[in-house]
Amino acid sequence: MTATPEDVSRQIERGARLMELLARTALADQRAFAELYRLTASHLYAVALRILRESALAEEVLQESFVSIWNNAGTYLSARSQPLTWLTSIVRNRCLDHLRRRALDTVTIDDEEEGMAIADDNPSPLDMLLASADARALRRCVEALDADQRQAVALAFYRGLTHSQLARHLKQPLGTVKSWVRRALERLKSCLDGAGINRSSER
Amino acid sequence: MKLNAPGIADAVAAEYVLGTLSALTRARVQRLVRVNPGLAGAVLAWEERLLPFAEGLTPIAPPARVWARILQGIDADRAPAEAPSSIWGNLGLWRGLALTGFATALALAVVLFAPTAERPEQTLVAVLAGQDAKPVLIASADRTGRTLLVKAVAPVEIAADRTLELWALQAAGNPRSLGVLPPSGVARITLPGPAGATLSSIPALAVSLEPRGGSPTGLPTGPVLFSGPVQQLY
Repeated sequence: MTATPEDVSRQIERGARLMELLARTALADQRAFAELYRLTASHLYAVALRILRESALAEEVLQESFVSIWNNAGTYLSARSQPLTWLTSIVRNRCLDHLRRRALDTVTIDDEEEGMAIADDNPSPLDMLLASADARALRRCVEALDADQRQAVALAFYRGLTHSQLARHLKQPLGTVKSWVRRALERLKSCLDGAGINRSSER
Repeated sequence: MKLNAPGIADAVAAEYVLGTLSALTRARVQRLVRVNPGLAGAVLAWEERLLPFAEGLTPIAPPARVWARILQGIDADRAPAEAPSSIWGNLGLWRGLALTGFATALALAVVLFAPTAERPEQTLVAVLAGQDAKPVLIASADRTGRTLLVKAVAPVEIAADRTLELWALQAAGNPRSLGVLPPSGVARITLPGPAGATLSSIPALAVSLEPRGGSPTGLPTGPVLFSGPVQQLY
């Protein structure tokens, strides 16, 4: 299953619009900055909320991220990544830094709830991996992973769990979990690169 | 971490982007990314691969107070540039011109990825275009070099008593002159330091029309004819 030409052109159009807004933001254009926020804040807030699971903290990260985007829009390098990827990386990195700053061993994962979410129909990390509507090749590649690998990758990505947190959460030896993740990443890489999903090449 | 071993940097970058690294290792990767271009490139590539995962999330509108706080934050952090009372005070013009940056991206790709082009590993490029978005000048420099090459890709016609002057737009503060340009052909401009360091904080380059010999004031006095954002290419 590959992206349709419509998907690709919509994606490129959106990327072009965001790139333009970033360029104007770099020149201190507040109106462009406001438009950038309007177009991306809900997406980025969802990313932060999903990882941090605490709205006050997610709001704080979103706020810090946009102040940073305002200050650093000039360093955005359009030749290097999709604008939404760049924006997402800013938010996600801040979220992960927040998580890591918390005491290392006080992860507040509710095992029961998490277990249920993976088992039932609520949108779980796994479902969301599979629902990445804008990345069908990604979806195909994720589906090709073993169930264990897929679950470990989903929990790491959407919850920001470290290897040892994953091991505890999945009740598996650390070495086992590490190798699930490592193999999953290797397989994703060869699957995605083989599918030509390296999106920077689309531009 | 033996990051120079083949495959190791890539594996570390993958785990970094996925989010599995401990606080210590994560901080270490963040420091190394700044000094190890191979690792930095691997991180970018993994972001391109994995961050589309986030697109599967249902968007959630943040409370309105977030935007209000952002506005407070940016007002304090970045005062408007001290623009002189000339056309350069008119940021609107800059904004309009910056738009042309994307429109010229294709032209840029054609120029840079021409099969015969021999590209240095890291290059800084700005495509300068006028209001019609047609590329007119291409400025490029090797990151470690001190020469900025400015090449006209379309004819520029100016009156005999005028000169084109190239400016580095600052994120804050006045534009800095990089020198005057000949009306055609290629100009080699010597930068005050290596291009990577000199231009990395420059959001855009612009060309203004000045009296012959260049601006008498050290600041642009005439209209901005072309501009374009500075981009890094690998």
